[in-house]
Amino acid sequence: MTAPLVEVEQLQTYFPIRRGLLRRVVGNVQAVDGVSFSIARGKTLGLVGESGCGKTTVGRSILRLVEPTGGRVSFDGLAVRDLRGRDLRNLRRRMQVVFQDPYGSLNPRMTVRALIEEGLIIHGLCSARERVDRVVRAMERTGLSRQALERYPHEFSGGQRQRIAIARALVLEPDFLVLDEPISALDLSIQAQVVNLLIELREQLGLTYLFISHDLSVVEHVSDEVAVMYLGRIVEQATAAALYAQPLHPYTLALFSAVPTVDPARRRRRIVLVGDVPSPSNPPRGCRFHPRCPLAESVCREVDPPMVSLPEHAVHCHVAARELARSGGNASVAAATIATLLADRATPPAATLSPS
Amino acid sequence: MIERPPHPRHAPLLAIKNLVTAFHTPAGRIPAVDGVSLSIERGRTLGIVGESGCGKSVTAMSVLRLVASPGRIEAGEILFSSGGTTLDLATLPEPAMRSVRGGRIGMIFQEPMTSLNPVFTVGDQIAEAVLLHRRVSREAARARALEMLQLVRLADPRQRLDEYPHQLSGGMRQRVMIAMALACDPELVIADEPTTALDVTIQAQILELLSELRARLGTAIVLITHDLGVVAETCDDVAVMYAGRVVEQAPAAELFARPRHPYTIGLLAARPSPGMKHSGPLRTIPGMVPLPQHFPAGCRFHPRCAYARLPGAESGSGRAVPLPAGELPCNAAVPPLHEVAPGHLVRCFHAESLGPPRSAQEIAAGGLFP
Repeated sequence: MTAPLVEVEQLQTYFPIRRGLLRRVVGNVQAVDGVSFSIARGKTLGLVGESGCGKTTVGRSILRLVEPTGGRVSFDGLAVRDLRGRDLRNLRRRMQVVFQDPYGSLNPRMTVRALIEEGLIIHGLCSARERVDRVVRAMERTGLSRQALERYPHEFSGGQRQRIAIARALVLEPDFLVLDEPISALDLSIQAQVVNLLIELREQLGLTYLFISHDLSVVEHVSDEVAVMYLGRIVEQATAAALYAQPLHPYTLALFSAVPTVDPARRRRRIVLVGDVPSPSNPPRGCRFHPRCPLAESVCREVDPPMVSLPEHAVHCHVAARELARSGGNASVAAATIATLLADRATPPAATLSPS
Repeated sequence: MIERPPHPRHAPLLAIKNLVTAFHTPAGRIPAVDGVSLSIERGRTLGIVGESGCGKSVTAMSVLRLVASPGRIEAGEILFSSGGTTLDLATLPEPAMRSVRGGRIGMIFQEPMTSLNPVFTVGDQIAEAVLLHRRVSREAARARALEMLQLVRLADPRQRLDEYPHQLSGGMRQRVMIAMALACDPELVIADEPTTALDVTIQAQILELLSELRARLGTAIVLITHDLGVVAETCDDVAVMYAGRVVEQAPAAELFARPRHPYTIGLLAARPSPGMKHSGPLRTIPGMVPLPQHFPAGCRFHPRCAYARLPGAESGSGRAVPLPAGELPCNAAVPPLHEVAPGHLVRCFHAESLGPPRSAQEIAAGGLFP
């Protein structure tokens, strides 16, 4: 067991809502509200959830691309939120990021070489002579040839641009990468290539990843642990194997059942959630999922569910807590009961109106 | 599960025959759709699946005659049989086309924010579609708009009628788009990536709604998507497109039970499926989707195909299978779209000699052809 490289405790990131002439703060968008996790060196934590759940803000808060409002972030023992100036810059060399859209994240006026070497120049890491070598080495690692050096991003396809973005992150020899939807903008046949590359690099270079995605199957494939977010909070977290085999939170189950699959044997009874995700500026009381949860009870509307932990699995849900207690902490029994309860309750209402 | 209507024997609702749509740019002629033939029966759902640039959207735009200049339909027929007459949409004069578009053929686009007009209320926009195609009063059109919002189960329909698109969430906007597409009782709805911009739980709601409306109203749907799972769960028939051509076409159950084209198989193999832990790397399709300016000769998939049979010297990838004597190399001629099983068409010279077919789930679980 190695010490965690990244530790996040009760992370909170609020964005103020300003109104009126004086731009007075009238409320907060609670993008991230009390998120805790840790990632061991060389491991990957997958962060899944729907748009607006705060997963991207978690990544950005760790990197201090946005300033967290509260909580603690530590990286290799350093308190990230306290660092300033040179210390922060040194830290940022060790934590890099790859964004979703390789069309937006690469400056179209810069050559591939200029894009990749920019970080080396900013951090003053090596002489101009060494620089080309390091750029070429990073490019070769990501499967780009040396001939690409003086070309511009528009000459490349989406998959190759994403390789450029990965090379740009790798050239600084970081320990930790935040991968924010790194394959979502790519074509299906290219996604697998980039996923394989990321796994290969992690193994060769001993990298640690925070893999943010809404694609549940890819997250399972890439991650050691997976955390499911809903409306600024983690609702369930477990090893990838445990989460996918025994999902305990009704939201996780609904999310899994909503993914269309080509395999009729694996096609679950779809749990269609009613309504939309509520606004994070005014989250519901109690459990944040209760307005959409088919299993919601009166306690869910009032009391924020505490975390129930098992080895390899943690969940925030009153119903899951009760079922776990009833089954003596047997996750697979509890998961099966919750799945049955949901299947019974979640039949969508039939439409009542006939067309003219 | 919704009961599938039986396969009818009469003329299909829409028959696309050898459609060629090309863009004339300073860089030359770009054939985005190059000889596509498809047909859709009344009340059924046809999925057109493929990656970006395969021509699936341009095919749909050609049916609606919305291909923007410098694009042009160059050849082929688009036969739409409605109300006892058959129209060729490829050559129909624009005024007549206008009564088909949005009337007998409805459309739903990917990005509901850009396809709704931000300065008109939702109710006005639906009513506008009704007023364009029906001789009814404003009040009747507004009543129809309300009825449609109820049909697509938008919450608080009476209040939503007077709201603007920005006041709605993505899923709600897509419901409005569906309401608008269905307002004139179309016989066919073309939905181009209707759920791609939505989250999975909202996608599930919209797909459920589309299937339910299809079953109740008998509207045929052309569903364009890049997601094989969406196709498997919602479509009766599937066409897989690659580089401007249909490479495989079959009833959905048949396609996923016995996929035959190496491209289809490659796509199925490249996706991990949830709950199925994979060891080792994902199987990939090497290379990338060719640009229309650089479509390869012969079978357009051959440079990326693991089963390509090429004359020894030309097999650059090193994976190519040597060419048996008397067989045509994959880069020499365009393989015909031919029937390998009833209703199952494949555009590959070697589809039958690749070994016994495996189902989509066997492929996803790791069983490629031997």
